[in-house]
Amino acid sequence: MKLEILLAVFFGGSLLTYLLGKISKRARDILAVLVLLFATAGITSLYGKSSTATLYTGFLDFPMVLSIHPFAWIFALTIAVVGLCAVIFSWLYIRKKGRTDFFYFMMLLVIFSMIGIVLSGDFLSFYIFWEMMSWSTFLLISYNRGKAIAAGMKYIVMSVAGSLAMLVGMISLYTQTGTLVFEGISGSLNSASSGYLQFILILFFVAFGIKNAIWPLHVWLPPAHSEAPSPFSAVLSGVLIKIGTFGFILLIYGIIQVQVFVNLGHALFNVRNLLLLLGAVTILIPTFIALFQDDAKRLLAWSTVAQAGYIILGIAYGTSESLSGGTLHFFNHALFKSLLFMVVGAVEFRTNGVRDLNSLGGLIKKMPVTFVAGLIGVCGLIGVPLTNGFVSKWLIYHTLIVNHSPFLAFVALLGTWGTILYSYKLIHHIFLGQLPRKYEKLQAAPVSMKVPMIFLSLTVFVFGVLPGLPLHVINLSELGFGMEPLAINMWGVVTGSGSIQMLNIATALILGGIVLWLFFRMGPKNTRADQMDNYAAGAPVPADRYQYSVKFYDPLTRMIAPYLKDIADNFYSALARGIRNAGNGIRRIYTGDVGNYALYIILFLAILIFIQLYWKVW
Amino acid sequence: MVLVLQILFVSILACLVGLFLIGLSRKVTARIHWRYGPPLSQPFIDIVKWFSQTAVSHGKLFDAGMIFSLTGSVVVVLFLPFGGICPLSGSGGLLVILYLMLIAPLGIALSAGESANPHASIGVSRKMQLAFGYELSLLMILLSLMTYYRTVSIVDIVETQIQAGWSLVQLPLVVSGLAYLLIMPAIMGIRPFEMIQAPQEISSGPMAEYGGKFLAFATLQHAFNIYIGLSLFVNLFMGGGSNAGYFLIKLLLAFMVFQVVHAVWPRFRIEQAVRYLWRWPALLAFIGLIIVWVTTS
Repeated sequence: MKLEILLAVFFGGSLLTYLLGKISKRARDILAVLVLLFATAGITSLYGKSSTATLYTGFLDFPMVLSIHPFAWIFALTIAVVGLCAVIFSWLYIRKKGRTDFFYFMMLLVIFSMIGIVLSGDFLSFYIFWEMMSWSTFLLISYNRGKAIAAGMKYIVMSVAGSLAMLVGMISLYTQTGTLVFEGISGSLNSASSGYLQFILILFFVAFGIKNAIWPLHVWLPPAHSEAPSPFSAVLSGVLIKIGTFGFILLIYGIIQVQVFVNLGHALFNVRNLLLLLGAVTILIPTFIALFQDDAKRLLAWSTVAQAGYIILGIAYGTSESLSGGTLHFFNHALFKSLLFMVVGAVEFRTNGVRDLNSLGGLIKKMPVTFVAGLIGVCGLIGVPLTNGFVSKWLIYHTLIVNHSPFLAFVALLGTWGTILYSYKLIHHIFLGQLPRKYEKLQAAPVSMKVPMIFLSLTVFVFGVLPGLPLHVINLSELGFGMEPLAINMWGVVTGSGSIQMLNIATALILGGIVLWLFFRMGPKNTRADQMDNYAAGAPVPADRYQYSVKFYDPLTRMIAPYLKDIADNFYSALARGIRNAGNGIRRIYTGDVGNYALYIILFLAILIFIQLYWKVW
Repeated sequence: MVLVLQILFVSILACLVGLFLIGLSRKVTARIHWRYGPPLSQPFIDIVKWFSQTAVSHGKLFDAGMIFSLTGSVVVVLFLPFGGICPLSGSGGLLVILYLMLIAPLGIALSAGESANPHASIGVSRKMQLAFGYELSLLMILLSLMTYYRTVSIVDIVETQIQAGWSLVQLPLVVSGLAYLLIMPAIMGIRPFEMIQAPQEISSGPMAEYGGKFLAFATLQHAFNIYIGLSLFVNLFMGGGSNAGYFLIKLLLAFMVFQVVHAVWPRFRIEQAVRYLWRWPALLAFIGLIIVWVTTS
């Protein structure tokens, strides 16, 4: 299918969905899903293709180019699939909230402008789609009003700063190379100096780093993710911030070649080391902060920041194994994190907006499917073997260890062990423990929410056992970047210095589980006991009186709290305060009263006359 | 066929060794305390007895978590070299072992979580914090090993040691080895790091709700856990073993060292434990990693 037609259908479909909503609500819901199904099918049909099409040449004499290659394909497909799941999920979710037409329109616009970004072949169309994405994201983040408006403002201010940095970078590239088409730039940058390349890299890193939420550019993300409507949080966390990742890969591997990137600058102080360092900090600090969160979505948001650190580490390291690990982790993270946001969203939907971990509990009895989905999502996040996160993290650790970077590997591994703590907290506080009486009549999640959750859980599991499927596509894209691809098979990686084979691990775990289950069943039958019927050492806990999971990791968090301040956020807050104060000062002068302005003009003239009379300057 | 036999041999032997060590632990502790102590066969008798009793269950996850946990432990055993036998080598090495070792505590945590017993949740919370405490050092120690031997395969590490001598006495690794010795009791969950169970305080923590076959499974899991903890140390720092007998002797030796600590020490509180783990062992492990990093680059 032609790329132009695909994009035309996307944006036409979004608008049509909005207009149809004025006539029939049901038709609108179905049309939104159909458009996304069409997008998924259309992108799937482009598998393995590499082609470029010039869309339009007249705009300011710049050609607007669309292109598809395996690397763009995997991003586009992930966006379409996650978008599809999120839109199905929002059917019932958003009906409660009102302004549904607007929500669908913006949602589709965000999804399709993201696909537009990954399919663009020059910086002009990239920038246009980028801005479309930023603004529609802003509208969706602020959808809930109230606190959400502040979160949206935080996002858009940072986003605009990033866009400006990108604009400067684009203009500089244009003056240097005379074109904005990626291939043309890539060809003419060969002779560019190392200093210039680092300058360009830093400009674009500000833009992409803000979207990708790298520390210290992450501050917009936690409020935005927690205040946005849950189906959109799934898109936001699953794919939207990964557009930054896309930009990083495009810039480092597609435009500046990776061999050039790795050897840039001084041996110690260069952009690559800076990025690796920031990646490591991005893993470490947000992981610790996530431990403190009591709001389910905020916890997941901080976890997203931390996981983005792994991806950055993989991309910036610059070996083909690390790129595979980073890209695979992007793909896996999109699946399990959007799944987790949907799980929290389903709980929020049924409990009428409760996200506070300390007031939930025991929901496994009421929402079993949601629990299983949550468990699988959390396992993927930790990287328990048989889920997809395991393979991608293994690739990143392995490349860091064999290439002699044990400290980076240490940070990455430690981040995972922190992930276990907050993941268990999430699962335990929502689904395990005592079921409060007020939730005894709670219903299970509706079918339209279960379907996307079950689908995403299955993908988490399937790509965990068969990592060869996505790795195959990633290998194709690495070939496109002129790198040597990894030696893979369906079950994993078969490199010389250590290989990973999910076949052995999966067989051992599944067979072992079955044998032990049979053994377990051989014993006498159990009797079921109520949740209050348990051993309390003579001091029973009255039902509904205490919530014993509050301050779950208190001894630990009390120890690390003094060392853990969000320096970045404090810095920006101080900056914002400074600007506001300066603004207030300026407002004293610009009073808006014409009489005052007339006074200023007269005073100014008086000063000029005084100077002329006294010093005779002119 | 050979593989199936190896798998059966290693998993059953590991289980027997673990149960024997539980019995021995009670006996040795009793003797140090000037008591007589239960017979060595007591854990075996207990397992059979518990398995024939009816138990109380709190739900599907309560059962499934237990099975999941024991499965995780059995599978880890298959990845660890047992004196020349390693049924599932060549599928990811030490990193996979690290990850598989997560499954057992995670399974218990999920199972205990569903029981809605505050004591169980307190126990799980302590386990999580303690694990975070010792993993900080353990990860650095394992990384210094992997960096020093330039491999992620535990089989390769054992083979190199059989030729070149124990890692514990290799000069660049000795600091890491010391750190490992300091965190071993925490990894095995013995005193002074017994606050997860703390029978007198939180009525055995995660174990509070287990009876009958659940308790049997939990004890089997504990037996595997002891074997895994010791076996990892022996394989990584005491040269593994060229044959099974030699390997078991080393295992026993290591066990006795930590048993003496277990018998005479009181219990830490959780924050004392984490503070200890993040101070001296972490410092040693960090120095060890720097030494290895500098000497190998």
